Amino acid sequence: MVDDSDDEPSTAKKTPAPAKPRKSALLSSSDDETAPKKSTSVPAKKARASLSAKMDVDSDNEQPQRSAQKRKKPSVLLSDSSDDDGDQPPTKKKAVVTSSTSKSKPKPKPRVSMPAKMKDDEDFIMSSDDDEKLVAVTSDEDESIKMSVVSKAKAKTKGAAKKAVANDNEDEPISKPKPKAKALAKKVKDEDGGAESKSKGTTTEGSKKPNWAALQAAKARGPVAPGSKTVPDGEENCLLGLAFVFTGELSSFSRDEAIDIAKRYGGRVVGQPSSKTDFVVLGEDAGPSKLAAIKKHGLKTLSEDEFLNLIATRKGKGKGLDEKTKKKMEKEQEAIKAAAKEMDKKEKEAMKEAKAAGGSSKVIDPSSQLWTTRYAPQSLKDICGNKAAVEKLELWLKEWPQSYKSGFKKPGKHGMNMFRAVLVTGSPGIGKTTSAHLCAKLAGYTPIELNASDTRSKKLVENGMNIKQHSTTNSMGSMITDRSCLIMDEVDGMSAGDRGGVGALNALIKKSKIPIICIANDRQAQKLKPLMSTTFSLSFVKPQASMVRSRIMSIAYREKMKIPANVIDQLIAGAQSDIRQVLNMLSTVKLRSDSLTFDEGKELSKMNEKYSIMSPFDLTSKILGPYLFSHTARETLSDKMELYFQDHSFMPLFIQELKMLQLMDKAASSISDGDLVDSLIHGPEQHWSLMPLHAVCSTIRPASFVYGTGAHYGGPNSMSFPQWLGQNSKQNKLNRQLGDVQVRMRLKVSGDKHEIRQSYIPALHPHIVGPLVEEGSSAVDKIIERMDEYFLSKEEWDTIVELGVGDKKDELILKKIPAATKTAFTKKYNSSDHPIPFHKATDLGKAPKKLAAEQVPDLEEAFDFDEAVEDASEDEKNKKDPEDIANDKLIQASKKKATTGKVKAKK
Amino acid sequence: MSLWVDQYRPRSLEDLHYHQELSTRLKSLASSGDFPHMLFYGPSGAGKKTRITCTLRQLFGPGVEKLKIDQRVFLSPSKRKLEINVVQSNFHIEITPSEAGNYDRVVIQELLKEIAQTQQVDLSAKQRFKVVIINEADSLSRDAQAALRRTMEKYMSNMRIILCANSTSRLIAPIKSRCLLMRVAAPSAEDMQTVMQHVSRRVGFDLPPDVASKIIDDSGGNLRKAILCLEALKMQSPDLSGSLTIAKPDWETYCQKVADLIISEQTPARVMEVRQKFYELLSHCIPPTVILKTVADRVVERVDEAIKADVMHWAAVYEVRMRTGSKKIYHLEAWVVKVMSLYKHFFYGMDFD
Repeated sequence: MVDDSDDEPSTAKKTPAPAKPRKSALLSSSDDETAPKKSTSVPAKKARASLSAKMDVDSDNEQPQRSAQKRKKPSVLLSDSSDDDGDQPPTKKKAVVTSSTSKSKPKPKPRVSMPAKMKDDEDFIMSSDDDEKLVAVTSDEDESIKMSVVSKAKAKTKGAAKKAVANDNEDEPISKPKPKAKALAKKVKDEDGGAESKSKGTTTEGSKKPNWAALQAAKARGPVAPGSKTVPDGEENCLLGLAFVFTGELSSFSRDEAIDIAKRYGGRVVGQPSSKTDFVVLGEDAGPSKLAAIKKHGLKTLSEDEFLNLIATRKGKGKGLDEKTKKKMEKEQEAIKAAAKEMDKKEKEAMKEAKAAGGSSKVIDPSSQLWTTRYAPQSLKDICGNKAAVEKLELWLKEWPQSYKSGFKKPGKHGMNMFRAVLVTGSPGIGKTTSAHLCAKLAGYTPIELNASDTRSKKLVENGMNIKQHSTTNSMGSMITDRSCLIMDEVDGMSAGDRGGVGALNALIKKSKIPIICIANDRQAQKLKPLMSTTFSLSFVKPQASMVRSRIMSIAYREKMKIPANVIDQLIAGAQSDIRQVLNMLSTVKLRSDSLTFDEGKELSKMNEKYSIMSPFDLTSKILGPYLFSHTARETLSDKMELYFQDHSFMPLFIQELKMLQLMDKAASSISDGDLVDSLIHGPEQHWSLMPLHAVCSTIRPASFVYGTGAHYGGPNSMSFPQWLGQNSKQNKLNRQLGDVQVRMRLKVSGDKHEIRQSYIPALHPHIVGPLVEEGSSAVDKIIERMDEYFLSKEEWDTIVELGVGDKKDELILKKIPAATKTAFTKKYNSSDHPIPFHKATDLGKAPKKLAAEQVPDLEEAFDFDEAVEDASEDEKNKKDPEDIANDKLIQASKKKATTGKVKAKK
Repeated sequence: MSLWVDQYRPRSLEDLHYHQELSTRLKSLASSGDFPHMLFYGPSGAGKKTRITCTLRQLFGPGVEKLKIDQRVFLSPSKRKLEINVVQSNFHIEITPSEAGNYDRVVIQELLKEIAQTQQVDLSAKQRFKVVIINEADSLSRDAQAALRRTMEKYMSNMRIILCANSTSRLIAPIKSRCLLMRVAAPSAEDMQTVMQHVSRRVGFDLPPDVASKIIDDSGGNLRKAILCLEALKMQSPDLSGSLTIAKPDWETYCQKVADLIISEQTPARVMEVRQKFYELLSHCIPPTVILKTVADRVVERVDEAIKADVMHWAAVYEVRMRTGSKKIYHLEAWVVKVMSLYKHFFYGMDFD
């Protein structure tokens, strides 16, 4: 243990100014240093740490405490890396940390940053190395060791999470509020620290379960100093062979950054902890399922600082690895070299051949070719991934002549021999075209390729592909023989200029005498529908990064580029396994330098990033998840808005699904604002330029109020598909039905739809629905009479029942009506004739069934003879008015029941 | 049998029981031969439609009561079919353009032009013009109202327009200025008392005045509601004695339940519950403004004096937003959350803002 505290103060004091610029450099990651060392300032973090420490003991006082802390804030930083000792920063840091720990002096002012999240579980006192009031400046090593031992023991009993902490507790700096720290320091002195870690352990126990108040407080504490920690300059590949899982929120790095760090040093990052995981890096609010997994597998856990420390101290390349891994790596290396050598050889042979064959013709120097051409696979085994698909394709081509002879009746091994053509689909850059050419060549065919650069209209396809069994020269200028194979590339690109092309191609396929391979990106495309039935669909999937890696590595090796495996992985991931893109990126880099660092690689792949479409569900969890708005998040407002634009009509609905009272208020009113904006956008004036505002109001702002982990907004499954869609269509349907009811009743009633719903339906309910419940089938006649009075049919009766809410809800009511009654009602209704106010326009085509009203006993109608001229021939029962109904219906389909009589009757 | 409210509806201007002054005015207008465009406005259940029908009868005679319903199909600019129900007699036509939603302009333009360009062919008709009644005029879109402006002037010789609305606030000024405004106020308690006594006499029973006033209190100036209520009550207890409880419509009871939910607990989970209920109401065709009003009334009844004003204030704020916006549920919910947080803050005596 070195006691550095003497010289440290000066460093610490000096560093503040330089620290700033560096920090910003880190954020933008634009500096050249591969592992920038930064001194860090720790503003809010301090406040936060002390606050939470305090909260453990006495949460009531949280408010005052906070403000007290804030006042102290300005005094900052512990910097471990001074400018002058850049060569060995990691060790130095370590020394510093340990030394201070051993002293375990709480020191008040300059507070060291500590991972706020971890501190709950493992608070170990960490003293920063400052000069002030060191109570026990020179504590000896023995004491520190003892302390760590005791705390280790203690920690063990507390569970897995603590275990890891105990091991590394020296680098877990914790700052404490002054008074407490002092007291603790005393305690430590008195009882060698064991007691202290115990007392701490117990106080923190209670706060383990995240509660709302704590979260609130955490939020209020503000950002936890992003970038407040230095990434140590570890040895290259020091994490090689280790698998990490990150969970929870780290205090100074966002998740992505942390993952980047791990990858930068060769580590592997996986999503879920398993028995193969080496370390779990725990952050604040770690997911419960991950914690459970940690326990189950007994995994080692690391805090953020421990993680950094691991990087700083672990031995670099190979040294920290066991034999097996080492051997594996060596083997890989060998393979790469061998592959590169082979490539070399082949290329030379090809050149020689070309020279021999071509003679006078100029031989192209491979080094002047595009890499994508130069390193195109020469044999099937060079193709990365999709082995099975490629084999199928080759087999199909080989057997094609036999299939042709047999008339495509024999399915063959893969059922492919029934088809004259194959449709190869898959995302760009994964070798579809290459494989097709290669397979054709290997099967002894001469590929003829037509791609989007050729016009492929109906006419041209028909004429150009005029294939004779004997060789002819077609309009494409190439010879077509029975050993030709047509490769139609980019079929989905047959667009405006190629009118009818797909249809012609399809026709061609049906009678083709040579195999045809069609290539497209999207199998679902509408355009390709015709091809679905005539071609065998073969889909290519993106090869996994590991498959692509070795190939890229050998190419890089051959080009004498020094690119570490992790950088290659990153490029591949960034390009989404698009091999062509990776090669292009590399060849661009090659122009500038022979090596590529992790950061450069990242930038490069970011620049070449492809946009991917996310589903609304992914988007919602992304927006409301714990990371997007957390203080460590690096996304800018535009990045967040980008998410909205992924699906601008749905996002607000999803966001509306989730909320929380205090903040819900703000969120809800913001959503309400958003709706106003929305109506401007979709209203008559169509202010589409307001979409960014809508994005903020309807999605980003509400989400910024209510973001958090799933458990807090109303249950584990609180994210659901917006009900609005279903509810809205239900509303529309019922509204339409209500409209029907109103129109039918209109002849009797003056009210509009709303009046019908709000007054008449409740009033009619006891007349036309109630009796069925109470009196059963005996009431049916009465009900039908009442319905006829208002021209309501059985359909409208259903609507009226359906429109009920609360205790009149349709399900409840229908349950109460015995099935026999229902049947009696329906039967009775259907067996009799009913007055109809009019025919719907849509019904006009059909022969009207119900011709007349018969049992309308209106007294008033008795006077209505003035226009009763012709009797409806078919209805024997019209005593009164129905004649006009009958004849009108047949003639003009719109009819009314005369109401004139009523007035007269009354008077 | 029809419900009483329909059966005993007055059919001529003389039969009307209240707003006598208005009736006289309408009568003289109808007989003057110089009949203007008119805009009838007033709360529902005040008698607007009844007065319009009576006026028409005055104008054209009993022929206007011979109604038929037609279903007309219009094509929206995007070639969507819009079905509009048209109620007409030989002398007038009645449309509800709001049935066409955003395309009401198409309906107004086409239908009005068609009618306006057709001369009255019945030589025996009392008037040279036809009347177009436009229901729910306050829900006409801006475009439709603009389309109406010129038409109203241009085709004055062939056509008169009668607009029927609940409030004039959503009508543009040019329309209002082209119409004779007829305000049909809600009847006073005495007026309603008279009408109800009249109805009960026609039906043939005796209505105790205290029962009548109870119903009137409950109906809030909506005569239609009062008469429907009277009939329901009569059905419940034929002698109208004893303690009568006026059954509230299902949706009203439901709204009150929602209000009670809001008061009894203020949590996010409860908000979700309330949202569910709102969806239920909305999908069952209860207009959002009615929901907001009913729920707010009930909430105000139950909360402390100190926050009543706030609750109403926010209800007003969100009501406006609801009218402007397109997804009503957002605003209803925003209001609920606002009320919950107001209530909770009041309850704990703190102010977080």
